[in-house]
Amino acid sequence: MFWRLLWKLLRGSSGRLIVAILALVSGAMVISALLNLEFDIERKLTQEFRTLGANLVISPGHDAQMPGAAPAVLMKESEALTAIQNLKDPAVVAAVPFLYIVERAENTPVVVAGTQTGDLPKLEPAWRIEGEWTSPHDDAMTCLVGRNVARQFQLKPGSPLHLTYLDKNAQVTVVGIVDAGGPEDNQIFMQLNEVQSMAGVQGQIGLMQLSVRGTSRIISDYSARLATELPGFEVRPIRQVTEAEGDLLNRIRLLIVSMVLLILALTALCVLATMAALAMERRQDVGLMKALGGSIARIVALFMAEVGVLGAAGGFIGAILGIELSRWMGQRVFGTAISTRWEIFPLTIALMVAVALAGALPLRLLGKVKPAVIFRGE
Amino acid sequence: MARLVQVQGLRKEFGNVRALAGVSFCVEAGEWIAIMGPSGSGKTTLINILGGLDTPTSGQAIVDAVDVGRLDESGLTRFRAQKIGFIFQQFHLVPYLTALENVMLAQYFHSTTDEREAREALERVGLGDRIEHLPGKLSGGEQQRVAVARALINHPKLILADEPTGNLDEANEETVIQLFHELHREGHTILMVTHAPSIGRLADRRIEFSHGKLVQVPASLRPESV
Repeated sequence: MFWRLLWKLLRGSSGRLIVAILALVSGAMVISALLNLEFDIERKLTQEFRTLGANLVISPGHDAQMPGAAPAVLMKESEALTAIQNLKDPAVVAAVPFLYIVERAENTPVVVAGTQTGDLPKLEPAWRIEGEWTSPHDDAMTCLVGRNVARQFQLKPGSPLHLTYLDKNAQVTVVGIVDAGGPEDNQIFMQLNEVQSMAGVQGQIGLMQLSVRGTSRIISDYSARLATELPGFEVRPIRQVTEAEGDLLNRIRLLIVSMVLLILALTALCVLATMAALAMERRQDVGLMKALGGSIARIVALFMAEVGVLGAAGGFIGAILGIELSRWMGQRVFGTAISTRWEIFPLTIALMVAVALAGALPLRLLGKVKPAVIFRGE
Repeated sequence: MARLVQVQGLRKEFGNVRALAGVSFCVEAGEWIAIMGPSGSGKTTLINILGGLDTPTSGQAIVDAVDVGRLDESGLTRFRAQKIGFIFQQFHLVPYLTALENVMLAQYFHSTTDEREAREALERVGLGDRIEHLPGKLSGGEQQRVAVARALINHPKLILADEPTGNLDEANEETVIQLFHELHREGHTILMVTHAPSIGRLADRRIEFSHGKLVQVPASLRPESV
């Protein structure tokens, strides 16, 4: 009889209850979308931040030796690579060595970075390239030039470029123009072994830049393990990137939690208003139920169950819509769909049931209805 | 016959308004008592107190050895469910429940529901073919018969009827009164409020109210005489 009564109560007040369920569905939809976004935001944000380039740098330690006439403090490339390979961490997206020297082009000093240019797209996915990335397997000596360098020397893909370093000369072909939006626009990127050969520092590099996937804590952990593997080196996260990531993540989470709480409160208020009106309509029924011997607990339980069913239904429908909404938001904000977290469903339903029960406070007051007063028409 | 109802010095005040001013009488089990009097004389207040819907300001209202005035909220709820069957002038059926469900509602609050028994109760009042109808689809007389079936379903000790024919046309009034006759023959104890002298005359006894006081109590109804 309980379920029969419940069904009849739901049908009997369908007009008013549609308003309540619309509020619950709307609230649940936005809340589940935000929660789904919140659960996936760390992964998405991490992916986004990886496009900003390296977030970890290995450089020579303070007590490193200057090898002969080397232009700067250097370190052995093989030691750094061995340490990275030993850790075998799948979070490492790219590990790219760099050796910087200042050469001359048309008698003008210009910074040349020797690197594995084939790995640059993984390290710096946000760079825009006009032309091609230099292939390490090319027979010809090729280079990438920053856009400022290209403008200064009027270079374009396919242009020849003559470089000199002390008494050595190199004839290279430009294969791509780099637009990085930073100091890289003023540099030339050549194969590492060519630059090492010109500088006379075979096997030596100035630093190694790494792109490591994960939160700032994961990056710090990896950095600490790498530092243990490389005691003579300095291993440090690029704090501006990792801290900005953590800070942004915290801000977004705070924003999402605040919005969820606000929406919960607004939904509860909407349900409250509807239920207050419903409570007035139900006074007669409650008076009769009490006259027939219905206990307060039994009558209120019936109405609370009705509200609970509304909350659960609203939460379920809203969660389905919210998941779709979060996918759409993910597509708009991050360019890819947000992954569906199935725990959103029970969480949203539980929240909506709680909100519906909180909003049903006026129905609880029906317990105070006096049948004699109701029958007198007061 | 055993005494079922004993009212002694019953008073009820609503603020400055005195609805009952020291009422005393008693009712034997199986009696049909008509309570009569003008509007505002305290008839419905008496019914409400005897049915546990209201509490007295002072005095005693004892029904089946239970002093209604001493019961707390949960005690009154149990009392209403177990001992009283109400029939109201306005029928007071739940509009979104069928005739059958309205009867079963009383069962639900009493103990457990028994659909077969509820169907039989409706068949007994001549509504076997209207069982699945909503109150809005029933005539006034039919609604009141549903209310009678509902009042009887839990086999109450006392049936309290507050002007049960007040909203009915003559034909339906006759049908409902016939039902009360049958209930009386079966030994039910009935206290019925009515304005109609013709219905009042059908009862075993009449007690008349005026300004919250009994103005005419047959000697056999006086507590001291029993």
